[in-house]
Amino acid sequence: MASSRSSSEESRFTVLAASAVGGILAGGILLGFLILPVVQGRQAGIDPWTAICRSLGIAPGTPAAGSPISTAAARPVSRVSWDEGTLRALAGAAGPSPPEAVAQCAACHGDAGIATDPTFPNLAGQSAAAIFKQLHDYRSGARVNEQMSPVAQGLDEADLAALALHFAARSKGTMDATARADRNHPVAELVLRGDPARGIPACNSCHAPGSGGPIETPILTRQNEAYLADQLRRYARGDRGNDIYGRMRGFSAKLTEDEIRRLAAFYAWTE
Amino acid sequence: MAASEEDVLRTEIRWSFVVFAATALILISILYAGLVHGINPPSNIETVDPKTLHLSGEFTEGNLGTRVEADGGVTVRVVTTQFAFVPQCVVVPTDRKVTLRFASPDVIHGVLVAGTNVNTMVIPGYVSQVHTTFKTTGDLLTPCHEFCGLGHSQMWAIVRAVAPADFKPDAQGRAACDGR
Repeated sequence: MASSRSSSEESRFTVLAASAVGGILAGGILLGFLILPVVQGRQAGIDPWTAICRSLGIAPGTPAAGSPISTAAARPVSRVSWDEGTLRALAGAAGPSPPEAVAQCAACHGDAGIATDPTFPNLAGQSAAAIFKQLHDYRSGARVNEQMSPVAQGLDEADLAALALHFAARSKGTMDATARADRNHPVAELVLRGDPARGIPACNSCHAPGSGGPIETPILTRQNEAYLADQLRRYARGDRGNDIYGRMRGFSAKLTEDEIRRLAAFYAWTE
Repeated sequence: MAASEEDVLRTEIRWSFVVFAATALILISILYAGLVHGINPPSNIETVDPKTLHLSGEFTEGNLGTRVEADGGVTVRVVTTQFAFVPQCVVVPTDRKVTLRFASPDVIHGVLVAGTNVNTMVIPGYVSQVHTTFKTTGDLLTPCHEFCGLGHSQMWAIVRAVAPADFKPDAQGRAACDGR
């Protein structure tokens, strides 16, 4: 069948295809390097010749606006930078933790990372990046606590990473299934889906393990209820401000007191 | 029942018209947006270190929002982060050239100010800069339009365009939605 096609038919196709490709190319050049730059340049007050040169990339674009540096007093936000060194320190297996530091932590946070008092946070199974960030912030003064600040200030960055890895590797243990939070309760809507009208993202979009949010966000499940509620209130009041770019200060301020109590209870009793 | 080669050819040609029509329609809408609404990608390339964005320089927390610069130009600085615009509301004057500068410390976000030609991606490592003049007053919805994670659908901001007479920056040239 194919062999019965005349050669004139084939050459006609070649010409047709070549002119189609050529036409599209010419049209693209005309639109991209001539029409669009000239028309858009007129709207932006740029003469046609400069606009064409800029579209071709042989004249520079709008000069950057000089990046004026802030003279405002910096708020005490975190000094942690998730650079390669920090990430590498937290990616390895737990190095030798200073034993006296572990003992010091265990006095409040428990040997196994389960806090001795419900107003202190549990550390077992927490993300190492989250523990490291909070220790680092206590050390730099971005977060202040009369017990934690002096402890963190006595340690160096390698100790902080070792301690973070040590407690991250502890097991949370199993939870009594009968105590589990009701996932059909209205507050679960905030946890799982958020509230678009108020601009509150689902809590789980950052705080569920492996959610893909910012690396420093802690895992909240099985955290102590009293501790969680207290931290949300501190964020809402602005007493705690080491959340980078005020993410938690912003979201917490939108929550009602009732929501804060219910959210804390929900996470405390969810695995 | 096998179709003849002619039938196959005819079907292919018919579908190729559909493909061409769809491509042409998309191109025409891009051209229309470019020529009539003045929408174009940022024309400058400016890099910034996303790892230290919050530590020093232009995009520290205290330097965000609207500011009238020494030369009288209005600049708005916004950080797009998972899953919020910081600040969530910015105030701008109408009928005056405004420069919007966006940066991201984490992942790729997008910014679209409804009803204006502000429409850009925000890529970690780069500053996205857009110039515009707001023509109507009101609260303009500004959603993130680049999927950025599980909280993407709750990520939006407000650009509050006010008449020049109502635009009242403080002594440092700063203006914010809550009147601070």
